[in-house]
Amino acid sequence: MNNEALRIEGLCLSHKGLMGTSFSQPRAVAYFDKSSDTEEQIISNANLVLERGETLCVGGPSGQGKSSLLRVIAGLARPSAGRLYYFGEHIPSERHTALEIAKRQVGLVFQNGALISNLSVQDNIALPLRYHKKGSPREIDEKINMAMDLMRVRDFANMFPHQLSVGMQKRVAIARSWAMDPELLLMDEPTAGLDNYNRRNLLPLIDNMRTLFRTSIIIITHDLMIAKELNCNLCFLHKQTLTEPHPFDYWVNADNEISRELFKDLRTSG
Amino acid sequence: MQNQIDKIEHKDLEKFTPVGKFFHMVGMFLMHRMAGQQVVLFFRAIASIFSESRNFKSDTKNVIMQTFFTGVEIFPILFIVATLFGSVVIVEVMTLMGKVGFSDVVGSLMVVVIIRELGPILTAFLIAGRSGSSLTTYIGTMVIDSEVDALATMGVDPIRYLVMPGLIGGTIATFIMTIIFSSSAICAGYLVIKILTIISGNVLNLQLTWNYLTTEILNAMTITDFIFIVIKPIVFGCIITTNACYQAMNIPRDIRQVPKATGRSVIKSFFYIVCADVILSMFYFLDYFNEISKII
Repeated sequence: MNNEALRIEGLCLSHKGLMGTSFSQPRAVAYFDKSSDTEEQIISNANLVLERGETLCVGGPSGQGKSSLLRVIAGLARPSAGRLYYFGEHIPSERHTALEIAKRQVGLVFQNGALISNLSVQDNIALPLRYHKKGSPREIDEKINMAMDLMRVRDFANMFPHQLSVGMQKRVAIARSWAMDPELLLMDEPTAGLDNYNRRNLLPLIDNMRTLFRTSIIIITHDLMIAKELNCNLCFLHKQTLTEPHPFDYWVNADNEISRELFKDLRTSG
Repeated sequence: MQNQIDKIEHKDLEKFTPVGKFFHMVGMFLMHRMAGQQVVLFFRAIASIFSESRNFKSDTKNVIMQTFFTGVEIFPILFIVATLFGSVVIVEVMTLMGKVGFSDVVGSLMVVVIIRELGPILTAFLIAGRSGSSLTTYIGTMVIDSEVDALATMGVDPIRYLVMPGLIGGTIATFIMTIIFSSSAICAGYLVIKILTIISGNVLNLQLTWNYLTTEILNAMTITDFIFIVIKPIVFGCIITTNACYQAMNIPRDIRQVPKATGRSVIKSFFYIVCADVILSMFYFLDYFNEISKII
């Protein structure tokens, strides 16, 4: 059995690819698209291997394409070059869509939660389970309750997204993704906009997913301390390229441009 | 290391015969046009009814919700417009035709004006303006807030979850509302004539009984009319909802584009409805042509 959750080889992404294709656009239009993709690249020649059950943080300055990288992995943007393997299976460019990649048990937690606004918390979590008929109604109810308990959102089960705080919305979004039993979970800025208390509560929940369910997790973040607290590797998207992943302490002590820029405070304080 | 550009190679095209290449060229031409993409979206929405994830209970619930959303929202204004419109038409027909001695054609004129042409068109315009624009705003906001992306990343097909119920529900509602519009217009017109007769003491010589009116209308209706009472609203309903969903799905990620897309959705729906009406009216011409050819 292949032990790799994700392998990225020579990935390039242009602005055109980032725009993706509208869900209403016929697939044949993208399939036979002959227009050259010579626009400026957002990501150039990115390579990455993520093992099953591994957590990886991707950091870097704003505007470098971190969230775009996540969109490519989730199938919401189309790479202009390179290959992506999910659990050992290569998805060719013409089939690189979010619906296709979701079939490989890949989940995405958006920065804003992206909860369906006209559904309650409970129905948001239930939506993919009921759509994919993941068990009997009773089994689905049990799964929803388990997800709500895990993310501690059960008290808000009947509330709607606009009635929830940013932190709660994120927890519900994670619960919704978790309920689908993802084998690879992508998280975009999970701690952005959270106070220290909520942040402290959220990180163990993420860690539980890795240790209990062996979920592979990629976290896009500006909060580099997550890598230290989750004891996971950290890599950077800097000047269009993705660096090799290394532990947090390596980056603090390394003598390179990224470390000097991003770990300045930690280095001076010793 | 694999560092090659993994673009789609167009080997598939080379396998095509010249005829195949021609059809491919025509197909791609249409699919790069908005109207072509809307037709594809329509068929994808219809095909999604039969997808693996079909669930009769939840699908029926979604479609009923969408039908109510479209119908209930539009009902008050539609009823008022139908009443006023019916009154104006019947008074105009009775007075004008009475003057020129053709008061016996009132049934034919009611059929042509209300049932055949303006009833379905005005209903479609009202639904495009009220419910079509709501649908565009609703789905468009979901696109901006990444909710549609979130659906896709959960494996929930946005076309099945959002477009299909809108299409089926909206079309059913358009059909029901067209029937309500035409019936309300005729009933209201009759009532207005009765009220005018009572008020004026029949000075205007407006003589109309319910039996006479209904018999005249039924006599004036052809088989084509009965078929088109069903087909026209269905075609208009499909146009309004498909166009509304298409405009919403193609909104760039900018909140300012939502009102623009909503406006586009309404105007384009008006245009497509009129175009479809012209095409459908050709069948009446064929009907008329058949009758004439029989006489000749």
